[in-house]
Amino acid sequence: MAEVYQKDIQLDDYSKEDLVTFYREMVKIRKFDENLIRLMHEGKVSGFYHSGIGSEGLSVGSIVKNLRDEDYLYYNHRGCNQKIAKGVPLSKLYGDFLGTVEGTTRGLGAGIVHSADTSRGVLGQAGTIGSQFNIAVGSAYSAKLQNTNRVTVVYFGDGAASREPLHGSLNWAGLYNLPIIYICENNEYAISSRWDETHSVREHIADWAWGYGISNCVVDGNDVLLMNEVTKEAVDRAKRGEGPTFIEAKTFRHRGHFEGDTYDYVDQEELKDWKENRDPIKNFKNLLLENNICVENEFTRVDEEVDQEILEAIAKAESSPMPDEKRIYEGLFA
Amino acid sequence: MRKITMREAIIEGLHEEMERDDQKVLFGEDVGKFGGINAITRGLYERFGGERVFDTPIAESTIVGAALGMAITGLRPIPELQFGDFVGIAFDEVFNKLGKWRYMHGGTMEVPVTLRAPIGMAGGAGPEHSQSPQALFMHAPGVHIAIPSTPYDAKGLLKTAIRDNNAVLFFEHKLLYDTKGEVPEAEDEYLIPLGQADVKREGSDVTIIATALQVQTSLQAAEKLANEGIDVEVIDPRTLAPLDKETLLSSVQKTGRVLIVHEESKTGGSGAEIAAQISEEALFDLEAPVKRIGSPDVPIAQSLHLEPYYRPSEKQITDAVHELLEY
Ligand SMILES: Cc1ncc(C[n+]2csc(CCOP(=O)(O)OP(=O)(O)O)c2C)c(N)n1
Repeated sequence: MAEVYQKDIQLDDYSKEDLVTFYREMVKIRKFDENLIRLMHEGKVSGFYHSGIGSEGLSVGSIVKNLRDEDYLYYNHRGCNQKIAKGVPLSKLYGDFLGTVEGTTRGLGAGIVHSADTSRGVLGQAGTIGSQFNIAVGSAYSAKLQNTNRVTVVYFGDGAASREPLHGSLNWAGLYNLPIIYICENNEYAISSRWDETHSVREHIADWAWGYGISNCVVDGNDVLLMNEVTKEAVDRAKRGEGPTFIEAKTFRHRGHFEGDTYDYVDQEELKDWKENRDPIKNFKNLLLENNICVENEFTRVDEEVDQEILEAIAKAESSPMPDEKRIYEGLFA
Repeated sequence: MRKITMREAIIEGLHEEMERDDQKVLFGEDVGKFGGINAITRGLYERFGGERVFDTPIAESTIVGAALGMAITGLRPIPELQFGDFVGIAFDEVFNKLGKWRYMHGGTMEVPVTLRAPIGMAGGAGPEHSQSPQALFMHAPGVHIAIPSTPYDAKGLLKTAIRDNNAVLFFEHKLLYDTKGEVPEAEDEYLIPLGQADVKREGSDVTIIATALQVQTSLQAAEKLANEGIDVEVIDPRTLAPLDKETLLSSVQKTGRVLIVHEESKTGGSGAEIAAQISEEALFDLEAPVKRIGSPDVPIAQSLHLEPYYRPSEKQITDAVHELLEY
């Protein structure tokens, strides 16, 4: 069934600049998230938030060096990891959470879901998780018909993978040989349910893809370089007209399902192990240090620059006004 | 009488009915060990075990479809949708199957399904987690629709729903879960029949027909109006299907002025049907055209700053009552 993707990655094959970019983007995502949680505690954010901390490598690795603005992206409902990696301005994301007109929704407000940035191919996400599967084959079909070589990438959790539309979508993707990449962010839990309690596949979720004749694999989602490599192969395959790929990327949430979740249903030792030994940022930083690619104060500088960028983004989002009542009547029809 | 929250009342109702026989099964996302995202199914897994109380995959159409299949083969399923909005996912099963399966196959099967779903705006949950979809199913013959506004009604209606041999859609407003009200001790069992409205406040000047959270808002508005010497009657239909027309019409006969208040968007909301029935059957009792208050006919924005523009307010209600009286 699904094979575990492995590759002997040579750091020499990467420029230092690219490696530092991977680090910077991961840190940006984490700090974005931490600051958002702070804003939530200050009572400024509507709705619930599902933190993406602990899975930054998955999104940065798959997106940053592989996807262009014109490639289509349907993000997951966990964190803003994919949107940030695809380059959506931070002030616009904060604006959506704060409900100011700086946001992509111009003040309607959006949580993780419902931000969109079509100039960067970010086409939104359903509040009903898993409903993006069918929409994604539609945009992949467009790309095929329009001969654009645009790739569609759809992210979803292990839980969303139990939605019925996954199967309808995989069937289309296989049948019409569509340029689409499914990236399952398997963090083992869907709210309180472990994936093996709610999925009939015993080994891997990616095994389902076999039945639809779709290339598939399982990968360590917390290894940013492996994620980059595996996605690159999938993107190339899609661009060559060789059709869809299903990637199951393994990771784990550092925080509960939503802010305020007791998170007492996971094995605390397991959680500790993921946090201490399998943190994508910590491990990547150590890799660069051990291989003498960077020294400590280079990371410090990046961290400080990112802190600054985030503070500016929040300031911009916060200083933008909230809309008045009229806003709710705008934009229903084209 | 003791006072408990609507959450506690529903939990009690579920426990009591699950206790009555072992053919009742309860399932949905995170309803087992976790006890449900709104903590409504707490303790059931521990009491009744993992076969009768189980977590399902995130697969709403399968949840509802499976409930139907269980029901026609002797079980009495009590599935939960995590959000009422997700009826959209299981629309075929809810709209085309639950209410029609028995009828279209000649009427020999029974469909004792009680589908629970939380509804309503609460805390900026946005366009896909805040809706009140109940009116859609007034257009689906064969299903009952319960929509309680108090802990007492919630428990009594839920127990009746579970014992009914037809499908009941049971909608719970999220902002009501923590509201308290009088409920008899567990040993004093009571049931509330489906199709029986409740006059929450008697009055002679204007009839307000309200559901769910808006019953509470209407009662508050009625208190304000009482200070001005305006005597408002507030009626909660409690079930939209069957609809207790008699109680509504006799109030209309008494007051001649009607305001319908609900959180559903106004166009095509349950108030549209209720207003139509009043105009069909009591037009000449009316002293003023029927008024309706609902949320605007646009998707619900996520922003907490905008949410109040959607939720009918006490002020809208008092203004509308004044307009009815001045007509
Ligand atoms: C169709 C649908 N069902 C249920 C929910 C409620 N819900 C939101 S997130 C979630 C769990 C998702 O788990 P998973 O896909 O594994 O992603 P994770 O949260 O673990 O990242 C659930 C049940 C929803 N939003 N949409």
